[in-house]
Amino acid sequence: MGKIIGHLLRASTTRFVVGCRVSEMESPAFGSLIRVPLLVGTEIYGLIYDMHIDDDGLVRQLVTAEDIDPSVIADNRINRNVPLEISVLAVGYNQDGRIHHLLPTRPPLSLDVIYKCTDEQLREFTTGRFGYFRHILRAKDLPVDELLAAHLRDAHKANAESGNSEWIHVATQELIVLLRDDYPTLMSVLSALSDIQIPREKVT
Amino acid sequence: MDTKDNTNSQQQIGYVVGGSLKENLRVRLTIPAQAIQEGGFVIIEGGEWQFYGLVIDIQLGATDRRFADEQSETRLPQDIARLLHRKTLYTNLEVLPTLMLERGPEPGSPEYQSWIEQIDLGQRPPPSPLPVKTIPPHHVPVRLAGAGDIAEIFGRQGERGNFVIGYTREGGHPVCINLDKLVQRSSGVFGATGTGKSFLTRLVLAGLMQDDNTAVLVFDMHNEYGYDDTASDTGQHVIGLKTKFRSRVNVVGLGQGAQIRGQTPDFNLEIAERDITPEDIELLTRELNLTETTPTTLEALVGSFGRKGWFTAFRKMKSGALIETDGGKKGPAPDSVAAWANSAGVHPMAAEALHSKLGRLFRLPYIVENPASEGIREIVDVLESGQHAMLSFGRHETDLDYLLVSNLLTRHIRQAWEQRTNDFRSKGAQEPRPLVIVVEEAHKLLNREMAAQTTFSTIAREMRKYYVTLMIVDQRPSQIYDEVMSQLGTRISGWLGDDDDIRAVLSGLAGRDVLRGMLARLQPKEEVLLLGWGVRMPLPVRSRRYDKQFWNELQGKSGGKRDEGQILKELGY
Repeated sequence: MGKIIGHLLRASTTRFVVGCRVSEMESPAFGSLIRVPLLVGTEIYGLIYDMHIDDDGLVRQLVTAEDIDPSVIADNRINRNVPLEISVLAVGYNQDGRIHHLLPTRPPLSLDVIYKCTDEQLREFTTGRFGYFRHILRAKDLPVDELLAAHLRDAHKANAESGNSEWIHVATQELIVLLRDDYPTLMSVLSALSDIQIPREKVT
Repeated sequence: MDTKDNTNSQQQIGYVVGGSLKENLRVRLTIPAQAIQEGGFVIIEGGEWQFYGLVIDIQLGATDRRFADEQSETRLPQDIARLLHRKTLYTNLEVLPTLMLERGPEPGSPEYQSWIEQIDLGQRPPPSPLPVKTIPPHHVPVRLAGAGDIAEIFGRQGERGNFVIGYTREGGHPVCINLDKLVQRSSGVFGATGTGKSFLTRLVLAGLMQDDNTAVLVFDMHNEYGYDDTASDTGQHVIGLKTKFRSRVNVVGLGQGAQIRGQTPDFNLEIAERDITPEDIELLTRELNLTETTPTTLEALVGSFGRKGWFTAFRKMKSGALIETDGGKKGPAPDSVAAWANSAGVHPMAAEALHSKLGRLFRLPYIVENPASEGIREIVDVLESGQHAMLSFGRHETDLDYLLVSNLLTRHIRQAWEQRTNDFRSKGAQEPRPLVIVVEEAHKLLNREMAAQTTFSTIAREMRKYYVTLMIVDQRPSQIYDEVMSQLGTRISGWLGDDDDIRAVLSGLAGRDVLRGMLARLQPKEEVLLLGWGVRMPLPVRSRRYDKQFWNELQGKSGGKRDEGQILKELGY
């Protein structure tokens, strides 16, 4: 099933925001693939592109105080009134067992449960086609290069574990094709990809 | 019938990405650029039509100029840089489509079956290569030509009249020229000095002689075709045509007692004075610096002594000889030029000037009053009987020798072949055997000034109908009269450096601009470009070597062992 990350706060067709407790913050990461089961047989996939921690009145007062007691800090984090917000980019959905790299037909509803995808689910979603790249590349306001690098690192790990270490090359090649008319973006994406630590095999 | 040849299973090298009939086709290369060279013969599988083309340019391209400008391999890890290059940097070929061949519908389909049946029943002409009138669609595969493709266009090795002149540069597939077609129009072998023109000419002549359908007359200025020789640059022994074809090749030496490369020729050519006509002299106008009065004087000489006797009589006259007359005055002696001039009503000064200028001819040792044999007649007879003659000039190497002898001989040949052709056409006599006259150092006889003085330009222009054609061998084609150059059917050219020479070789051909670069970039040795009417499309080839193996192959001897690889290569694998 994958770990529960939190519950849906608000959503649109292209993006949604998940609220979670600090204790739930450990498993999701920037670039992780998450899923939101809707009705029976349908789930929406998304990539985490932002994690947002809002302040509240108490935090504002506490930051001005001197020598905050660790127990106060812990209490504030565990019992805070304002949830942590995780922003997600919708990248596809699964209907009746078939994965589509299209925008979901409708957004998830408030308080829908959000799960982190397992490696198996990540493999399933990324195998074969890369249609979901277009949702990422269209989101000009996001750090596309970083998001892609984080996602490719995760996905490569999942695919390499099942023996498909070529996946990263095919995905990189697809990105090059999609971005070759946009030199600055492509170079910054490739530069980000060069920074992810993966054992590189020789491209044949 | 099966138009699909199974010897064409060549690897795909790319696919069509654009182009037009006017501006050639662009092919995206999918193999390393160095695997293809300019002049490569490629096949474009365009559905119902198969296109034949020549690679005329190889271009490096990039989807964005910045990908090419930036050395991304220094910024990115090697594998990412390689992926980037693979998708953003590319090589395009510019392909000149030259011919197209109908391939019919998809093999195996009912339409294909009915197409084949229509051809077999004669309801539809069998596919043959046509000039390109359309272009292939996008993305159709392109491959290098296989042995079968080459044979489709240039003829199959072993078929009558086909002679392997060389091999394709990429695949090493044999490329033939059709000898029957070669001799139907005048032809030319060109190339800068040292590019192997003489060897190439020997190859072609050996082919013609072995084919035994054509008579060959060689004006052998440097005495190199008949007997064995030593190559000037490599020092290797070169087999002469006489050595191989023995009695079918007659080496003729100019002048009595001439020795050619230390050997006695089959017979000697001496020119009888009676064979020299006023027209022969008029053709030498420029060489002998004759004046406008010459025709009148010559006419008077013929009037006085007849067409056969004028030359001897004129030679015997004395120039400026005087005797004392009865009145004590000095007057022209009876055997003087002036005396004859006075009696014939010609201005004595004009006659004396002509006599003095013809002195160069009078002194030529091979012009004699009564030759031991009818040399010219013998040569014509030899050629008419289908044998070959190599006229070696020996030590007579001046322009005057070339002009006089070649003019005289070709005039006789022309008369003989015109007569035979007319007999064939009107009286149903035997068809004359085609005759090829090979002219070495052709610019000496066919340059702008000389062309008017020789019968060669007439032969090049008009004698095709009378079965006589020229084969011009020269290193400075730009020096040859344009009117002759434009008449050349088949042109075989080695490397040429001079722009004017290149322009001359390409005169009158389509796609000159494209071929110009190809000609200038041939290997200086052993690569030639086949051009012109006699070949269906231009093609650079690695020329065949004139060596022992060539003779073994030509004369059907099993000869030296050929390795398995070579045999397979020749079969197209």
